[in-house]
Amino acid sequence: MMVGKNFFLVLFFSITTVSAGNTDLKSGNVSEGKRILLNMSKAMKSLNYQGTVVFLRNGKLETMKYFHAANNNTEQERLVSLNSPLREIIRDANKVSCHFKTTKQIVVDYRPFASSFLLDIPKNIDDLGGAYRFDLVGEENIAMQLADVIAIQPKDNFRYIRKIWVEKKYFLPLKVVIYDFSGLPLEQVVFTELEVKDSLPFVNIKSLDKASSAENKQSEQSANATWLESPAQPAFVVNELPFGFQEVFFTRSPVHNSDQLVDHMVLSDGFSSVSVYMENKNASMQSGLQSIGAVNSFSRAIGDFELTVMGEVPATTVKFIAEGIKLRGRSN
Amino acid sequence: MHEDLNQKISQFLDNELDQDEALSILQKIQLQPDLKDKINRYEAISHVLKTDVFLYPSSDFSAKINQQILQEPYYLLPRSHPFTENKLFKHSNKILVVAASIAVVAIITAQGVNYSDNKIKTSSTVQLAQTQAIEQVSKPSAYRYGNEPSSVNARINDYLQAHNSSVYTNGEVNFRPFARVSAYSQE
Repeated sequence: MMVGKNFFLVLFFSITTVSAGNTDLKSGNVSEGKRILLNMSKAMKSLNYQGTVVFLRNGKLETMKYFHAANNNTEQERLVSLNSPLREIIRDANKVSCHFKTTKQIVVDYRPFASSFLLDIPKNIDDLGGAYRFDLVGEENIAMQLADVIAIQPKDNFRYIRKIWVEKKYFLPLKVVIYDFSGLPLEQVVFTELEVKDSLPFVNIKSLDKASSAENKQSEQSANATWLESPAQPAFVVNELPFGFQEVFFTRSPVHNSDQLVDHMVLSDGFSSVSVYMENKNASMQSGLQSIGAVNSFSRAIGDFELTVMGEVPATTVKFIAEGIKLRGRSN
Repeated sequence: MHEDLNQKISQFLDNELDQDEALSILQKIQLQPDLKDKINRYEAISHVLKTDVFLYPSSDFSAKINQQILQEPYYLLPRSHPFTENKLFKHSNKILVVAASIAVVAIITAQGVNYSDNKIKTSSTVQLAQTQAIEQVSKPSAYRYGNEPSSVNARINDYLQAHNSSVYTNGEVNFRPFARVSAYSQE
């Protein structure tokens, strides 16, 4: 009888010890994953690096040269397409300029809610502990460079799973993949080669096409004016949001090829972003769910308006947010 | 007796003997070489009388043929089936092929189901909850990102371009800037 008791005691302590060890290991991996992401966030902003990157989105493959220049807390991202249509895209803070080399057209765009062509990274990863787990799940070689694989696992059903391959020496992202619930990749961004430089030049979009510089100046001013003239509040109220999502941007401006104004609010949890659009309803508008790649959208009529919620989140999320939106100053 | 044997040989060549007598004469020919020569001569005479053409084969002509036949290799191949058996075999083959195809499809389908099941099982409970949640939502219809003839998808396209920066990385040409600003250089 005594032997039996001892046996079960030893068994109990063994199991407890092994479980505790596993927990420590797991939490160690989680904190290590978070530490690597924090390092990556800093490295992406502060280093000068360039490489060749492949974007696989919405069933389209695009290979581009990528440059990131950094100097005294100022950054510039630059993409140069290798395939037609030949173009160069420059991001200076929230201003994005696209220069089409064949037509010499320059399109200037303001996107204050995005900070990188590669991936969105929250400013404070620690705040997202309630929404995501950050697991270090292995090591792999990408573009012949050894990388840590970080799995960003959502803790609810409102966001997709992401994996980021972070290069071990400089902590730069070499590959980013968004997966659907069955584990199939929805979007991928992969570097085929990447190198860190001591410095890289800042390029002025106007220097790419001097002939258009005068017109650009006027256009940029009107763009700023359009953006700054937006009302402070949208015509709708978002009543329910998944944990971690918050409003990051709002504007009222023309979105279509007309003067029709559209309310546009951007919500984000740092990794995933959702746009809410509202405009006057017309007969051709179709309600319901639509999807492309990682992006889902849900449209519904609300009073005399058509509401659309769209983002790189599951269909349940856009539907959930859309159904929680009401017109400002009304009970329904 | 000798004349009787000659008579028998002549009848054998004219195919006038019954089976037992023919076998008996053949056995005697095998045992007596002079009888073999005699039957060759009779055969040549019969051929000349019937066709008016005289072909004189060498005395060992048939022996050589016989020898050649004996030297032919023996192939251990299955015998070909009669037509009816072959037809039945083919028919059964067809049934087997259809049955095998159905079995393969069933196995692949079952494995596909098991594969997705396994994925769900090995996923975290969060993923399982996500899967269940997504199934509750009606399946969304897909829309293209390119130039859309439909005004509905054109509207969604405009929204998508305003939503993220993917418009710059997917080869779009005729996109509208989010802040509605564009400039063209005049050459």
